[in-house]
Amino acid sequence: MKMVKVKGRFRGGESPRIRELAFILNRIRRSPLSIAGIIIVLFFTFIAIFAPVLAHPQPNRDPYMMPRYGFSPIPRPPGPDFLFGTTEGQYDLYYGIIWGARTAYRIGVLVVAVSMIMGIVIGSIAGYYKGVIDEVLMRITDIILAFPALILAMAFVVAFGRGLDSITFALILVWWPSYARLVRGEVLKITAEDFVEAAKAIGCSDFRIMVRHVLPNTIFPLIVMASLDIGSVVLTAAALSFLGLGAPTGYADWGQIISLSRNWITGAPGNPFAYWHTYIIPGVFLFLFVMGWNLLGDALRDVFDPMIRRR
Amino acid sequence: MISGKAIRSPANILPFFFYLSKIANPYIRVELQGVRMVNNIKTYVARRLILLLPTVLGVTILIFAVAQLFDPVQRASLYIRDPKQLRSIDEVIEKYGLNQPIYLQYFSWFSQVLQGNLGWSQSLHMQVLDAIITRFPATLELALYAAPLTIFLGIRLGKLSAVKKDTLIDHLTRAFAIVGWSLPAFWLGIVLLAFFYGGLGIFAPGRLSPWADVLITTGEFRVYTGLYTLDAILNLNGAVFLDALSHLILPVTTLTIINVALIMRIMRSSMLEQLGKTYIIAARARGLDDKKVIDKHAAKNALIPVITLSGLLTAGMLSGMVITETIFEFKGIGYFAAHAATQLDIPAVLGFALLTGIIFVIANLIVDLLYAYIDPRIRLA
Amino acid sequence: MQPPVLAEKEQLKVQDLMVRFYTYEGIVKAVEKAKLKLRLGETLGIVGETGSGKSVTALTIMALTPTPGKVEGGNIYFRLTSGEIVDVLKLRGVELLKIRGKEISMIFQEPNAALDPLYTVGDQIAEAILTHRLPEMLERVNQLKKKEADSFLMRLPIFRGIFEKRLLNQVVREEIVQLLRLMEIPDPERVLDSYPHELSGGMQQRIVIAIALACSPALLLADEPTTNLDVTVQAQILDLIMRLKQRFGMSIIYITHDMGVIAEICDRVAVMYAGNVVEVAPVKEIFKNPLHPYTKALLESIPKPGSAFKSIPGTVPNLVNPPSGCRFHPRCAYAMKKCSVEVPQLKEVSKEHNVACFLHGDA
Repeated sequence: MKMVKVKGRFRGGESPRIRELAFILNRIRRSPLSIAGIIIVLFFTFIAIFAPVLAHPQPNRDPYMMPRYGFSPIPRPPGPDFLFGTTEGQYDLYYGIIWGARTAYRIGVLVVAVSMIMGIVIGSIAGYYKGVIDEVLMRITDIILAFPALILAMAFVVAFGRGLDSITFALILVWWPSYARLVRGEVLKITAEDFVEAAKAIGCSDFRIMVRHVLPNTIFPLIVMASLDIGSVVLTAAALSFLGLGAPTGYADWGQIISLSRNWITGAPGNPFAYWHTYIIPGVFLFLFVMGWNLLGDALRDVFDPMIRRR
Repeated sequence: MISGKAIRSPANILPFFFYLSKIANPYIRVELQGVRMVNNIKTYVARRLILLLPTVLGVTILIFAVAQLFDPVQRASLYIRDPKQLRSIDEVIEKYGLNQPIYLQYFSWFSQVLQGNLGWSQSLHMQVLDAIITRFPATLELALYAAPLTIFLGIRLGKLSAVKKDTLIDHLTRAFAIVGWSLPAFWLGIVLLAFFYGGLGIFAPGRLSPWADVLITTGEFRVYTGLYTLDAILNLNGAVFLDALSHLILPVTTLTIINVALIMRIMRSSMLEQLGKTYIIAARARGLDDKKVIDKHAAKNALIPVITLSGLLTAGMLSGMVITETIFEFKGIGYFAAHAATQLDIPAVLGFALLTGIIFVIANLIVDLLYAYIDPRIRLA
Repeated sequence: MQPPVLAEKEQLKVQDLMVRFYTYEGIVKAVEKAKLKLRLGETLGIVGETGSGKSVTALTIMALTPTPGKVEGGNIYFRLTSGEIVDVLKLRGVELLKIRGKEISMIFQEPNAALDPLYTVGDQIAEAILTHRLPEMLERVNQLKKKEADSFLMRLPIFRGIFEKRLLNQVVREEIVQLLRLMEIPDPERVLDSYPHELSGGMQQRIVIAIALACSPALLLADEPTTNLDVTVQAQILDLIMRLKQRFGMSIIYITHDMGVIAEICDRVAVMYAGNVVEVAPVKEIFKNPLHPYTKALLESIPKPGSAFKSIPGTVPNLVNPPSGCRFHPRCAYAMKKCSVEVPQLKEVSKEHNVACFLHGDA
């Protein structure tokens, strides 16, 4: 990295934990991209949390369905009535975008969290007990990983039926194997170490060893993977929605909203970009969301990498 | 989109490369499995080939498992070659044993697959296998242009940004990579279409302009391979060649922008890893100039994991880029799969997924063997 | 008229060398005002713990300071085979490349890591030869060509090109085989075409040495070449190095932390601590009469059967914030007040014996 004289604003105390934290914060401070990532993520988190305040849900209506103001298919440009304009079918774009952040987080966090848990459980079992169990479980992950995420998810969604829940379920099924492999790899590495033998010799139960010794060491790469995955999950879910396999029409889902713009990309006669707001605006938000999380994941990875190496 | 979920995940950097290599690199994978180390190349190749069979079987099992999520009536179309058979569904169910215990069903389904019967696609009105065969050349053509371009650019940019680490060029290329990686493929396609097609009126969606299509229907233009640019050369028809090419430009650009990021980041991190190694210092100590040190030594070593990744990337492209094809109305297998999915056309989607899985397994095998061939440490272990 | 920077019999003079590493944790003052002198044909040992700056110094002599290191000051005067004297730190580009591998060569601690795994060892030796001795090889090719001058094939340019290439290969191969024989490598033809991982550690190190000596350098830098080898192999390699020195007549700077090796092969020794050269003396002197407290402690810490194990109290200092004054003073049994304030300079205390310590001479 650039040669900079370092006098971090965060000085660690004597405690090693605080020093580690100070080290992490210093590293992050130094990279403008990381800071940008954090800001973007905070921005979207804010929007997602305060969605009901930023865009009042209509009474007696599922808050995730965008309000309609008419039935004309022709989208209206941004103006005083509608901050971002309306899209095909007169759905309020601003509302859709705000609540879309919530949808994105719902899917992203849910898929990643459940995949991670499943991955941890299965990976630990495979790595710890080795042998036949390991082989079988790894074969299974191999096979699932042999498929492209989108395509396998498509197959599942066709089976489960259209809808966000199907997408979520499908994505979980597609995503857990990578976590399982990661955890398994780490577990194998760690169980090769002597202190596990020692723990067994003292009489620690398998479960205790796994939870107290093995897992804490696998946390860092998992966190990195998870934060980078949220972006990918949201992108894949948006792609599925875009194809029409996810949220129903009118749902506040960025992929769905973009699919509504498909007929309008050629614009009006004489004004090819008349309906730019229908695709540019939701796309920018989706893009920023993913990029923010990717930057954050990168930053975390940069930070944890030397830490892992330092051990 | 690129295939293999793992690829869409963290890119760049050692940990990711390590995870990827756990999946793709047979050497490390063998190690992790706690199996005895590969002793020589022959046992290694033999082992890989033998592993091929259960993996392919596994793929079919997974597809079959997904199929089981449907009731027998729905599954019937998986077995038939002719829609008329659907009228007597009970007969079909009897014939293929759709009510029987699972393992029997699997065998009956599998034997059908081996005979080339992937079922009937209601959304396309043709047999699934036929649909795949007729649609594949389009995807092949797209991949044929997109993959080499992506790989070449990715390697170049990765090498450049590693060598010029921390300079403006490095930051720019990395920024480009992050942006490219975060871009939703469908959105990029739409924006490009809006700008070029909507705004400038060039690069229309589809594979050919209407006038060229007419040439094909009338028979004036003979289709040999299904790859229109190639066929145009074979037909000695420059106009069609240019037309087909111009229709390829936007989809290929979209694919390249998004996937270059991945290759570039792996190449960069791989290069950086090599540049820190002792043999590079040793090479410099011999008096070799920078160019030689970088090209002859660092880059060559750095390329090894990149080749693995490129192989998987190409496989991903061959599996059909669902999104890209859909947006640009490029009628390849991805387009047809998306169409089938929205129509809940089960045999089509499953057939497509099956094809994809097999392409991947084979690609993995090729990449593994390639790896063993390139790296003398494995070849002559 | 300015006196020449190097005396008549001097090979190398390192003056006031300062190397700093710019890292996240701060600026590491790795080498601080180091002074070294080397005579023609001499073997100088550099001893020190890890972190003493010995490897960095060696690499810097070839202007190969690893990033993020920067040379912040000092001179490295070197006498080329031609007699000309250059300051290595002031050289750039082609000038520098002409020196590396040809005038100054280096052998490394981990032979396996020093060889590119993707190329045969023959290829790598050939690299060194072709970079620096190309004219000589081409001359030989010409000699061989004369024999075939009238053959039909030679009239055609394409074939001539291929033929010349093949001749060059042949000539270089012969040269490499000679070199390998010098390294006492059995079956050189087969070894030539092997990849590094196919060879044992000892063999690999011989290859590394072969590469280093391929162009008969005036100075050989040896960075702990035997540390990672088996003890028996160590002895073999050491012997080899000494024999080669006799044959090639080069000067050697031998870096190690093993005093036994120093005793065996070095003429003079420099002791480095935390980036400073603290004592320089002929080998016998150092063992008989170590003056610097660190040197004394080092010698005492060599385990001797029968006596208690003695180690040096304290730890190697953090070079981002090194101790003030003499860097050894926190661990020194004889530290005075002056030691934490002023930095002692290297001063000649008796014939050929230099120390940087306030205990001896007015530093």
